[in-house]
Amino acid sequence: MSTPQSAFCTDLPARKPVHRNDILNVKETHFSATTPTRGAAYIMTEFNEQNALEGLRNLDSQAIGAVYDQYFPEVYRYVRYRLGDDTLAEDIASDIFVRLMEASQKKQGPQTNLRAWLIATASNAVNDHFRRSYRRPVEALSEAMPDGGPSVHSEIDAREKQRLVQKAMAHLTSEQQHVLALRFGQGYSIEETAVFLEKNVNAVKALQFRALAALQRQIGEVNYE
Amino acid sequence: MNNVYDALEICLQEIEKGADLETVLRLYPDLADELRPILETSVEARNMAAGGPTPDVLRRGRSRVLQQAAQMREAKAQTSRRLWSVPLRRTLVSLAVIVALFVSSTNLVRAATTTLPGDNLYPVKRTWEDVLVMFTFNMQARQLLEVEHENERLEELYELFAEGRLAKVDFAGTVTRQNGDLWLVSKVPVVISAGTDLRDPPILPGDAVRVRGVTQADGTVLAERVERLSEGTPLPVVDEDDSLENASELSGNENESEEQDSDDDSSGPGSAGTPRPAPASEKVSLDGVVDSIHGTLVVVNGQPMNISGAEIKGTPSTGTTVRVEGYYDASGLFIVTKIEFRDGGSDGGSESDDNDDSNGNDNVDGNQANDNDNSAGDDNDNSNDSDNNDDNANDNSGDDD
Repeated sequence: MSTPQSAFCTDLPARKPVHRNDILNVKETHFSATTPTRGAAYIMTEFNEQNALEGLRNLDSQAIGAVYDQYFPEVYRYVRYRLGDDTLAEDIASDIFVRLMEASQKKQGPQTNLRAWLIATASNAVNDHFRRSYRRPVEALSEAMPDGGPSVHSEIDAREKQRLVQKAMAHLTSEQQHVLALRFGQGYSIEETAVFLEKNVNAVKALQFRALAALQRQIGEVNYE
Repeated sequence: MNNVYDALEICLQEIEKGADLETVLRLYPDLADELRPILETSVEARNMAAGGPTPDVLRRGRSRVLQQAAQMREAKAQTSRRLWSVPLRRTLVSLAVIVALFVSSTNLVRAATTTLPGDNLYPVKRTWEDVLVMFTFNMQARQLLEVEHENERLEELYELFAEGRLAKVDFAGTVTRQNGDLWLVSKVPVVISAGTDLRDPPILPGDAVRVRGVTQADGTVLAERVERLSEGTPLPVVDEDDSLENASELSGNENESEEQDSDDDSSGPGSAGTPRPAPASEKVSLDGVVDSIHGTLVVVNGQPMNISGAEIKGTPSTGTTVRVEGYYDASGLFIVTKIEFRDGGSDGGSESDDNDDSNGNDNVDGNQANDNDNSAGDDNDNSNDSDNNDDNANDNSGDDD
């Protein structure tokens, strides 16, 4: 039973203050699974996910900041990989974190695996974006070919190739795009990808094979066009 | 087929470790043709991987997210406040209003207690008095309270007279004298005019009445309505000595006035028992005893007199003998031009000896009640004055018998 005084002071539900050190332990740990640079061990602070989730529910700034710092680069890379657009990736990635806060308030947020929730939400957000784009196709601006030396030409060639692959990838199914983004965009291992996709490893291996085969076909078709 | 998937995964891992495509394909020569385009595509797919967000992107995204969090916190706080505070706020506001009303009304009533008729807050004072009476359920206490309020009406009148203010007044009292158009009600001189509404006439001395009228600058109340009050109506308690004095005057004066009215026709307006207005501007001189003093109004032998323009000698005080010179104005009020207060109540003047002596006797004794109430022994005390004996014999004839 709350005291009268506490009843007067209940603007916000009583919340346990979450200190940044409760979320991020000062001890540094190696996480090879979350490497932004493939193959290299990624040094990061240990992240206390339960404290972070508690802080998110209370809209604690420290907790939100810690979660953002921890996961934004991964989410951004994922979205950027699938869309091939920096600006869009920035908007959609930050929007994922707003959705995370809203879901936490509605008690529909992640209960355990925060990263999986973020990536799954990012995947859905990208799919939504594609659906909207299909309904309202936007003519891409023609890229002017700047004059320049061989290095410039090679860079343009590389960009053009990336653009073709991006275009080809857009013809894959959402699941195929998702597995490629996780495996090659994020650099997750086949086991981690299996966790994200909630499939067994063999199923992911098969999906990965079919996705690459489909992409190869689509690149050929895009080249032909 | 699983072999192809496994082979692809192993090849991908080798490539990730830095192995060359051709080297990797040599691990699975029978699947090399099938794996080659897949592995080449995987390289393309891997090349698409973007770097991490730039510091600017990180900063912008962070501030956007934290700003959104702040907005959500504010919205949540407002919702919580609304949920909790609507009934709470209503209760607090109600309490505040009640307290404010109580405090303001208490202050208002306190401020109104010193007001006089004609003041803005005077109705508050009267209403508060009514409320007090209404919530006094003990009959005795209620009667005392009503008497107290009637006394307050008289006090207000005295203050109005002292300040020379004109205001509508309303007071109750006993008619102690009736001198033509000038009555004395609870020692307050009341002017009866042609416009006065007299309820239940005739009203005689000794009747309890309620007077409504307007105070005049000369220290009288111009009556608008006089109504007789029923028995048991609370009346103000006038000063005991004065009331006794008035009572004695009334008991004797009723007879005296009737008798002396005829006599005084010849004796002139100076007679104390029934002062009669003389023609206006005619100078009159008389002696008497001061019944009461209200500012510039002095009641001598029951006759109100205006002394505002008078030359005053001696110390004005109730009960002292005075010699008065003045005249009656058009309204019948005696305007004093000269008044001399005499200590000790010695024999007054020569112009109306009968009256003077009788009054002098009263004041020498200093106790009219004794004159009226006591037996002839008191008369003997006053026997040194032959005139007094006559008066007292008349006054107390019934007692003596």
